[in-house]
Amino acid sequence: MGAVADEAAQLTGRDRRDFLRKGMAVATAAVAGAATPALASNKAPNLPEWTKTLGRGVVARPYGRPSDFTDLQRRTVPWLTASPESSISFSPLQDLKGIITPSGLHFERYHGGIPEVNPDDYQLMIHGLVERPLIFTLDDLMRMPSVTEIRFIECPANGGMEWKGAQMEALQFTHGMVSCSEWTGVRLSTLLAEVGVKPEGKWILAEGSDAAGMSRSIPMDKALDDALICYAQNGEPLRPEQGFPVRLMNPGWEGNTSVKWLRRLEVGDQPWYHREETSKYTDLMPDGRSRKFTFVQETNSVVTNPCPENPIKQKGFIEIEGLAWSGRGTIKAVDLSFDGGVTWQQAEVKGLALPKALTRFGFKTQWNGEPWLIQSRAIDETGYVQPTLAQLREARGTNTIYHKNSIHTWNVHANGEVTNVQIT
Amino acid sequence: MFKLPKIALLSLCAAFGANAASMGIGAPASEAEISGWDIDIRPDGMGLPVGAGTAEQGEPLYEAKCAACHGSFGEGAGRWPVLAGGEDSLAEERPEKTVGSYWPYASTLWDYIHRAMPYPQPQSLSDDEVYKITAYVLYLNDIVDYDFELNQDSFKDVVMPNQDSFYVDDRPDVVNTRCFENCADPEAMTIVGTIGGLSPTGHFKEDSGVSASHYADEPEAVESKAVALSEAAERGKGSYDQYCAACHGAGIAGAPKVGDVAGWSGRISQGMATLVEHAINGYQGDAGYMPPKGGFTNLADDVVADAVSYMAESSQ
Repeated sequence: MGAVADEAAQLTGRDRRDFLRKGMAVATAAVAGAATPALASNKAPNLPEWTKTLGRGVVARPYGRPSDFTDLQRRTVPWLTASPESSISFSPLQDLKGIITPSGLHFERYHGGIPEVNPDDYQLMIHGLVERPLIFTLDDLMRMPSVTEIRFIECPANGGMEWKGAQMEALQFTHGMVSCSEWTGVRLSTLLAEVGVKPEGKWILAEGSDAAGMSRSIPMDKALDDALICYAQNGEPLRPEQGFPVRLMNPGWEGNTSVKWLRRLEVGDQPWYHREETSKYTDLMPDGRSRKFTFVQETNSVVTNPCPENPIKQKGFIEIEGLAWSGRGTIKAVDLSFDGGVTWQQAEVKGLALPKALTRFGFKTQWNGEPWLIQSRAIDETGYVQPTLAQLREARGTNTIYHKNSIHTWNVHANGEVTNVQIT
Repeated sequence: MFKLPKIALLSLCAAFGANAASMGIGAPASEAEISGWDIDIRPDGMGLPVGAGTAEQGEPLYEAKCAACHGSFGEGAGRWPVLAGGEDSLAEERPEKTVGSYWPYASTLWDYIHRAMPYPQPQSLSDDEVYKITAYVLYLNDIVDYDFELNQDSFKDVVMPNQDSFYVDDRPDVVNTRCFENCADPEAMTIVGTIGGLSPTGHFKEDSGVSASHYADEPEAVESKAVALSEAAERGKGSYDQYCAACHGAGIAGAPKVGDVAGWSGRISQGMATLVEHAINGYQGDAGYMPPKGGFTNLADDVVADAVSYMAESSQ
């Protein structure tokens, strides 16, 4: 704990003081990133510089990259883990629009670093309780009928730092372990038909080729339902961070089951109880017992505007926005409270509302400097209503680490600054 | 109308074989191919290879390969996992989840050590070494005796204390209702802000182009030192950041910390050739164990040498 406290003390001294002193101005500047200062000479009635010269031609940047005037990045929390090869980074939800997370901003979680897999050497082995043990190359997988779906992936530890109390003064760190992409690949059921699962085959061990040999036991029902063997994300090959060239994708389930750099699937008659489904990713309850195989990511939501990184800059019109998602299906409704949960109003679900995908909601209103305790509450197609923090703590205590999907509260202050609070 | 010859229809059916859904894609996996990759172990012993080792035999191996991170008694160094202790703590305010207090199956320990440990050198241990180290970690948790021989048969006699404390997910476990009016009592509300001191807010900082993690390292930044680096050291900085900083940046696992003049002076006095040789081939020192090339054995020797130059020159 000493090292943690030391680092935290360093962070506090500077970060918090700076933030509180400079308040909104700082956060506003962060939006503009490291760009050059604005010039009056670029504004009407003058002609801006970029109009008076030719710009870059085609393929000056064959792949392309974000504007230098933007500064979106994944970020990590250094004191969370012992080393960067087994760690987590967070998506900048505060900067994102719509429901798709750009591939380069998808949150990261590795247990042994990112392997650099040569796709020409790639093999997926399927064996165990099957009629025909087979090895598939990447070409083999891409020859098979493909499926494309928009699905979120969420680490079950998302929000887990806040079980005992509000701790992270940023949306990126309270909720950034969730991302949403368009995934393309082959249904796992298609591959299982190729190998012929024997009747006693009830579980599948999925194993990565990374240094952690990341492995999880997947029930056959899920494998035959909607599991995908993915080779593409948002239209292009998977990023190395997301399992290039091939990953498993279990829609709606905790992210670590979607094993990356997938090398092997073994069919068996019972689960393997490997490290990441016993020591980790089990949920310790107040009585000292633990839940196992807590696969589903239950309904969750959060307001993304305003949030600590996006304070309210001026009075008057504001569109409250946020994201909702459910591992059990489609988001049916999202409600908003501005008074800490005393009264609620229904928000608007905006654009695509897809099963097991991030879903954006909005609410048009006015802000005139009054303090808000703003909360969102999502309801999914099964009728499940996102619970309060008090309800979760009552049922699970504060030591379960995982699956904290409770209603979140932002405190909007009279100066527009937004801070993270919990209501007890 | 196009007519498919009967002979073609027949051969199509034959190609599909017994399974009508099969596309005939994929190559048969041979026994040899499967056995090379099939490393998983199950609680019923499936997958355990023939082999043996006692806790006593495991002790020196554990000291050499595990203790730097996990501590000589399994107490854990820094933020690395604690392996022993924590009995009867699971229902306490601060539970300690260790192999002994939490893990339900000994097979998991064998499987994980074999597939992923030591951290920088996964799948480098022989089967017997895994048996020995597994036995020693069980011994650290008072689950087996010092002279207990763990093998493919005696493994079945090992019962983990917390085995029966796991139950299958029974969520949803809470039921909220979609209330719209008078849903909470404003008088009874307590608003609690963030716990002071733990929130990394580096990305709020003006013209902050760096991540929170880099920001936290700022006070110890090597760059701030007025050291003129040689060409080799300049070349080595990138490799250092990528491969060495995990241990040498924070002084984890007994690794001399970059910038720690006292820690490096004795080492540097041995000469760069010795330092580079130790970095390339590995070295067992008093403070800890340096795996060959830090575990990144695919690195070229000169890349390692450059990184050593960077670390040494930055620590003078």
